[in-house]
Amino acid sequence: MEPIHPITLSTIWHGFQSLCREMRGMVSRTSQSYLIATLGDLSVGVWLADGSTVAVPEGLPGQFLGTHLAIAAIREQFKDDLRPGDVILTNDPYHGGHNTHLPDWGFIRPIFHEGELVFFTLVRGHQMDTGGSFPGGYFPNAYDIIAEGLCIPPLKVIKGGAEDVDLNTLIYNNVRWPAEIKMDCNSMIATSKFAENRIGEMLRRYGKDTVLGAVHQMMDRTERAVRSIIAAIPDGTYTGESSTDDDGTVLDEPVTVRVDLTVKGEEITLDFSRSDAQRQGFVNSGYGATYARAAAAVIIFMDSALANYHNQGSLRPITMINPPGRVTNPNYPATVGASPVNVGNQVLESVAEALSKARPDRAIGAWNKHRGDYTFAVDPRSGERYVRTTFDYDGSAGAVWGHDGMTGPTQLNTLGSVRRGSIEEFEIRFPWRMLKLEALADFNGAGRWRGGGGIDWRAVNEGSAGRMATGSSDGDVTQGKGAQGGQPHPCSRTIILRGDQKIRVKPHRMVEIKEGDTVVKLSAGGAGVGDPRQRPVENVVIDVRDEKVTVEAARLIYGVVLDPVSLEVDAAATRALRSVPSSQRYEAVVNEDSFQVELKPVGAGAQ
Amino acid sequence: MKQLTIDVGGTFTDCLVLEESGQLQRFKAATTPQDPTQGFFAAAGKAAAHYRQPLDRFLGGVEQIVHGTTLGTNILITERGAKVGMLTSKGFRDIVEMRRGIRNLHGSMFDLFIDPYKPLVPRYLCQTVEERTLYTGKVLNALNEEELRAKTRLLLDKGCTAVAICFLHSYANGENELKAKRIVQQMAPEVYVTASHEILPVWREFERFSTAVVSAYIGPAITRYAARLQGSLKQHGFSGRLLMMLANGLVQVVDECVDRAVYLLNSGPAAAPSAAVHLAGLHDKMVGHRIHRNLLSVDMGGTSFDVCVINNGEIPTTTDAWVGEHRVAIKMVDVPSVGAGGGSLAWIDSLGLLSVGPQSAGADPGPAAYGKSEEATVTDADLVLGYIPGDYFLGGDIQLDLKRSHEAVARVGAQLNMSTDESAQSIFTTINTVMANLITEVCTNKGHDVREFTMVAGGGGGGVHAAAIARQLSIPIVIVPRVAALMSAFGMFTMDLGLEYARSCARRQSQLDFAEIGALYADMRGQAAKDFARIGISESDLSYRATVEMRYVGQFHEVEMELPGQELNAENLATLLQNFHAKYEAMYTYSMPWRAAELLTFRLRVTAPPRPVEMAVPARATAGVEAALRGSRQCLFDGSSARVQTPAYDWERLEPGHSIRGPALVDDPTTTVLVPPGFFCEVDAYRNLVMRTE
Repeated sequence: MEPIHPITLSTIWHGFQSLCREMRGMVSRTSQSYLIATLGDLSVGVWLADGSTVAVPEGLPGQFLGTHLAIAAIREQFKDDLRPGDVILTNDPYHGGHNTHLPDWGFIRPIFHEGELVFFTLVRGHQMDTGGSFPGGYFPNAYDIIAEGLCIPPLKVIKGGAEDVDLNTLIYNNVRWPAEIKMDCNSMIATSKFAENRIGEMLRRYGKDTVLGAVHQMMDRTERAVRSIIAAIPDGTYTGESSTDDDGTVLDEPVTVRVDLTVKGEEITLDFSRSDAQRQGFVNSGYGATYARAAAAVIIFMDSALANYHNQGSLRPITMINPPGRVTNPNYPATVGASPVNVGNQVLESVAEALSKARPDRAIGAWNKHRGDYTFAVDPRSGERYVRTTFDYDGSAGAVWGHDGMTGPTQLNTLGSVRRGSIEEFEIRFPWRMLKLEALADFNGAGRWRGGGGIDWRAVNEGSAGRMATGSSDGDVTQGKGAQGGQPHPCSRTIILRGDQKIRVKPHRMVEIKEGDTVVKLSAGGAGVGDPRQRPVENVVIDVRDEKVTVEAARLIYGVVLDPVSLEVDAAATRALRSVPSSQRYEAVVNEDSFQVELKPVGAGAQ
Repeated sequence: MKQLTIDVGGTFTDCLVLEESGQLQRFKAATTPQDPTQGFFAAAGKAAAHYRQPLDRFLGGVEQIVHGTTLGTNILITERGAKVGMLTSKGFRDIVEMRRGIRNLHGSMFDLFIDPYKPLVPRYLCQTVEERTLYTGKVLNALNEEELRAKTRLLLDKGCTAVAICFLHSYANGENELKAKRIVQQMAPEVYVTASHEILPVWREFERFSTAVVSAYIGPAITRYAARLQGSLKQHGFSGRLLMMLANGLVQVVDECVDRAVYLLNSGPAAAPSAAVHLAGLHDKMVGHRIHRNLLSVDMGGTSFDVCVINNGEIPTTTDAWVGEHRVAIKMVDVPSVGAGGGSLAWIDSLGLLSVGPQSAGADPGPAAYGKSEEATVTDADLVLGYIPGDYFLGGDIQLDLKRSHEAVARVGAQLNMSTDESAQSIFTTINTVMANLITEVCTNKGHDVREFTMVAGGGGGGVHAAAIARQLSIPIVIVPRVAALMSAFGMFTMDLGLEYARSCARRQSQLDFAEIGALYADMRGQAAKDFARIGISESDLSYRATVEMRYVGQFHEVEMELPGQELNAENLATLLQNFHAKYEAMYTYSMPWRAAELLTFRLRVTAPPRPVEMAVPARATAGVEAALRGSRQCLFDGSSARVQTPAYDWERLEPGHSIRGPALVDDPTTTVLVPPGFFCEVDAYRNLVMRTE
């Protein structure tokens, strides 16, 4: 065929990108789940018939960057029995679904042109429930994945445009809030139909050969660019490891993901063989989800100018070695409920640590850990059951080379694509009254570029007694690392205040909530990048002025001596402090009585 | 008496005069960013000179001036606003700094190398006070006035000249915010004070607080500007009415604007859609039936391209806007914009593809053809292609250097192994594609098929690019108005004088208390009557449009619905619900009648109509179209390498009834229109150009 005109090429390319943005917008505007609609726990994308990734600009890596694996399994499973108007639903980490955990329901639609299968689209959102022992899917101590919820292998919920009534009845009969779940399914299915129409128009306008030619050319161009960036990284093996507090079943014993990342010429190999063995508890991350997060971690180290172009070409130079039986590739029927957070986050962090060593000019400090919970009780205003979760109580972004971390964004694991909610909306929707949502001074990793601020979140239960699962929580004892001399972020705490009692709640637990309880979450901010003593003095002064850094931390951690009232810097004392390497490092530790952040010599604060 | 509109844009200050006879006169002067009143009076001065009158006498004969200005937007984008302090509810100091996440809208999720958000109020100027209102409107904790005074004193000592008061749930009950506002005003009468619920009495604290802070940030400068402008106008003999053009598509007297400064954002671009509606309406009237039901108003200036999708004559609004990195949640005319204009720079991206924009050479240094820069812009490509005249740009005010354009365009082409001519054509096509993509995205977002729309193209660059964009999108008709280059200024003649009111009150369809809703509307009407009485407009001249934002129970995003009657009652609720399901289905291809709906924010738009714009109709042509020929240029079209001798007509001399077959050019001191091959162009009764594909 004739070469594709460069203008046609970029037109088709941007067409796919903007289609994905519109898809995500449509689901947000029409769904009812707090997670999907307001917080953006939602992914969309387009793949070729052979599973090659075409466009993945919006989503959570674990939810969608491994979709090529699911597509390969679907083609094997259905063979010639894929037809226009079919919609396949799956939430299964096993059996060809290659999903993260059960609440993430993905709708995959084959797209045809003149009878030929050309593309697949995916719309995947975090449902408010998926059956199982406890709403939300974060139930610790499930015996196996069957107990975690309804496992849906790739199945056609819509066949040739007609709903499979039997299958849908079975599904809705096995989830809590069936009407609400159905609203969100409608939203995602209608969005995939919208995508089908748009792709059909594109195919009719430019012709199939031109569209596919353009897609392949874009993949090749991206691949060349990614390969040349990798080639510039010194060859060698770089290691990274990251841990979660425990697995929820065997308590207080950290679980660790380890990666040996080898750069050789234009290619990167990620070897997870040294990771811990698969666990009895629910922190196991399935093969597809591990691949997705590891690949995302490599992609964020590519140049920013490429950020809008990632596709299959970015994935081709990446190889993963991940033997079965590891916490990064568990065997069926291992539980996976908490894995989007733990050890999903650890997969991403370990690769980021290794690459921060390989490419210091793109070094990334760990972001906060998720401090989530799923609280299940009755709202006395309506008499109805509710499940409440949010990202509002998470800490903040880690620093990256050249930039401080922002206060507010949540979880590196999502690349910042989930958002905070609204306090006013939260209070209207749930029987909880907010007491506090504010950043805490010093409660983050220090560095030449420092992490975003830690968060003090407090709310009082004005509803019934109920239960709270902290499966999506982490970071009471494990700390995300800094990079290139930046400090790790501090440890976090969750405490329930009941009368005079202060009840500490660790991650991966299930506890009772009583009427009138106040939940306090002190969530550390992000980790730092670069030596804090290299932070420009004027930036430290601004942080002290803004009460983000205390005068004490300025001196002990940043080596800057200044007057607490006038903020005037004692230049001589500062020079003296900064001229010698610090003999003792300090870090922020939560005082569990006063809830104040205190500076302690490193090592003294761990419990 | 004459009427005037003056639109102070980023590059030019446009002035339109509507004479008693209905004749329109157009004037342009350079914008003066340091003191925009200079450009304002320079433009007015040009108009006075046209009538051979001293400025005082000319302005003395003007009944009304409608004024649009980019002042507010510029202050915000260039960070030259006031030192703002914020007083907020105890325990919630960082709501604005945290925003809702790391990115505003369109940043890629794969790019983490971005600076943290820098709020307009640094943290040391954001202070908290004890107070709390619940979502029910109940005051849980009264305002701690002593603490408020201490915190206010602190902000004043730090030199704040504006204060934003932002308390939780103040939309449900503004008592604590009002109390705080009064105290701050007593303590510092010279300080500009904003209470969040007065700017935006709608739920969701980040959006409301951010909007209030933006308003306080630009408020003092807007106040000073308004005072200076009013003073100068008075000095220069003007005794008519001065109205400001607002973001929501209404105009308002100056004194009503200064307390709600945020409404002056986007003043200007928000007027173009009104112009499009008015002009298409005139065209319909001439033809005798309604052919332009759906309109695309586009405006291509030097740096940006604005689009507005007008379905069935209704100018759309949005509450989802960001201005730069800041969230502004007031209702604004929905004019999405992309960085595409005459000054957009051509460059090669990291994958070796040609890109044009969003960076712009602006007015200074401007395109390579201006002689100050070497970088190729869209204007340079247009010049190389022969579309715009080198000797008649802005009527000859700016001489374009073709040789420099050639060299700049050739440099871009060399990187792509293209000849200069191919490179120019690629730049032309690429920028058209950028604009066409924005149109497609905006239309499909709203569920419209762009092929059912008439394009009304304005802005200095709209005339050259409109037909090519239309062909790419299969849009059948393009209208380039006689006032194309001053489209926003023209729109300001046609806008209603008005104010908008809103009250949030979340209720499910089964729990509606019609008396309660009636009281909300009565309250808003009462407020409107007071506000309009202050500016001398009686209640009998007002029209009302009542709407409500609705959604299915559980959803998070609302659809705005018109109330079926003046009041909501048990009888017409069914109609409202039916309309809601239908509109939802139209927007999203499905609806859920089995699911209950809820009503959230009740809105009332109160307007007084503008004076009708009676434009004079020129006589029909007596001479042939050849009489309007001013020459010809050698142009390139559609990827062909052979230049085509293309006639150039003088728009001043084109008359109603003339028609032109493409390829052809129509030159005017303010713009050029390209009629590409395959288009047929008619001059309508008002000398607008109407192009159709043959």
